[in-house]
Amino acid sequence: MFGNMFKKKRYLFEDEGVMVVDMDQTAGRYYDEAMKKLEIESYQGDEMVVNMGPQHPSTHGVLRLELVLDGEVVKKTTPHIGYLHRNFEKHAENIPYNEVIPFCDRIDYISSMNQGMGYALAVEKLIGLTELPEKVEYMRVLCCELNRIASHLIAIGTFGLDVGAITPFLWAFRDREQILDLLEWLTGARMLYNYIWVGGLAREVPDGWDAKVREFVDYFEPKMTEFNKLLTNNHIFIKRTVDVGVLPEDVAVSYGCTGPVLRGSGVKWDLRKDEPYSYYDKFEFDVPVGEGKFGPLGSVLDRYLVRIEEINQSVRIIRQALDGLQQHKGQDVRSAIPRRIRPADGAEAYVRSETPRGELGYLIRSDGTDVPSRVKARSPCFSNISVIDDISRGGMIADLVIIIGSLDIVLGCIDR
Amino acid sequence: MVTYFSNIYRGMVTILIGMSQTWKALFRPAVTLHYPTERWELPTNARGILFNNADDCIGCYKCARACPVNCIYIDTVKALPEEDLGKASMGNPIRQHLIRFDIDMFKCCFCDDCTLVCPTECLYMTDEYENAVFSRDNGIYHFSKYSPEEALALKTREVEQEMQKAKVKEAALAAKKAAAAGGEAPRRERPVGA
Repeated sequence: MFGNMFKKKRYLFEDEGVMVVDMDQTAGRYYDEAMKKLEIESYQGDEMVVNMGPQHPSTHGVLRLELVLDGEVVKKTTPHIGYLHRNFEKHAENIPYNEVIPFCDRIDYISSMNQGMGYALAVEKLIGLTELPEKVEYMRVLCCELNRIASHLIAIGTFGLDVGAITPFLWAFRDREQILDLLEWLTGARMLYNYIWVGGLAREVPDGWDAKVREFVDYFEPKMTEFNKLLTNNHIFIKRTVDVGVLPEDVAVSYGCTGPVLRGSGVKWDLRKDEPYSYYDKFEFDVPVGEGKFGPLGSVLDRYLVRIEEINQSVRIIRQALDGLQQHKGQDVRSAIPRRIRPADGAEAYVRSETPRGELGYLIRSDGTDVPSRVKARSPCFSNISVIDDISRGGMIADLVIIIGSLDIVLGCIDR
Repeated sequence: MVTYFSNIYRGMVTILIGMSQTWKALFRPAVTLHYPTERWELPTNARGILFNNADDCIGCYKCARACPVNCIYIDTVKALPEEDLGKASMGNPIRQHLIRFDIDMFKCCFCDDCTLVCPTECLYMTDEYENAVFSRDNGIYHFSKYSPEEALALKTREVEQEMQKAKVKEAALAAKKAAAAGGEAPRRERPVGA
């Protein structure tokens, strides 16, 4: 009975090549063989296998890292994921299109506007809805960029915490609170907004909201200068992070990394500029790329500097979006929301968007009913975490912590 | 040699620049609140715990259908034509006895989909966020105004009505068969076996 279930072959990737494990045996024996091989490898010399377990304050979530250590030096890292798997794709096969949006928010709960935006764009492409009111487009870009700033503030704040600096963490969170208050006034919730709906927005924009956003942006720019003086320009911080976790360009591209991880290695690729969606082609902004000014290109410091610069560019976009919003104040943001979402049978759409962590793609396939037939979310953190073995070899555990922080992973995004 | 001393110099200078920022922050007012004595005032559309005004509810099931996690459990009994349950605040006539309206707050994801489809706006989100309870049973909020005895009475009445209808239907069917078998030659619309 069980022999038929495990007829497929699986591969266990190793340094020397590929070890083929025949899955005709039961799963228990497969596990034993793999563990035996790992044990033999680890008992050579002074190596030991240590679990940086799912409950760990520095792994940014429930990530289990199996480390093969030689003293303090990391020889091999194997990430084990799945501790936050919540069956997003299975849920999405059972509920109507517009009810999937709260589930989408929870994929990457830190930048949840971007997740909803990607899904809404995909469903709009599926049903052929291309013309939306300008106010909706400007508001969507505004919300996504505000969320990008909030997400990057977490990234740089917790990165400082991983390095050992506690004050920048609290300063970053203080400024993030302002953004969360703005978005709470707009949507009612602080983190999981359920605001960007298919064909528009869920609620009308309150009066005076854009004035408050302008106030926030004026308040925030000097705060970023202060933050830079405190952490970014600190010589000890630069020296600590400049030659850790160097990710070469070809390795980054071959693993499918996107977002600041890829841009930190020198590849100028940003979906907002190269394959613009929504109104991003109307805005003027630069795409920051790691330059390796202080050391090797693609280090942890480069990724951090890319995020700092992206915050500045997001502020630029927000200012332009506020000006654009000013001209279309009177429109109704709910006018284009379809009453019934029922795409054609067999229609399929794949739309990618740029979240703060990288490229998020949604593949939606419909079978003619109210309920999608398949929703696949391609998450950026999943590909980003796969480089951790490559770039952490030879460093110490403390460097591994910084590397995880620089990849800016969110386990909800990895596991979905 | 030069880099050694320039590193020391740069290290000290940048630390002092950073400390100048923290020194300035010492004289700014604190941004923290002394919770629970001081609380932040939430905006009017804040998504706190749900509340349903059962007097206004017309039992249309729209919220239960809109919920992504199916946490709203509704049971209604149709009112008899002679019973008058009044009108909802928006003018819709109430035609159902709402004998059960439970929301399982542990499942609720606070997405606010249910309130946006409610036609009488009897279901809304308050701004209460301190709802921790000690037992899982207290997490199910009951909003129906009918006591369990009343609810049971109404439900038995409905079940009896259904049984009555079923009996009447059966009797009519039996009578038709008896009339067809015992009477004159039955009229056939088409020949047997065709």
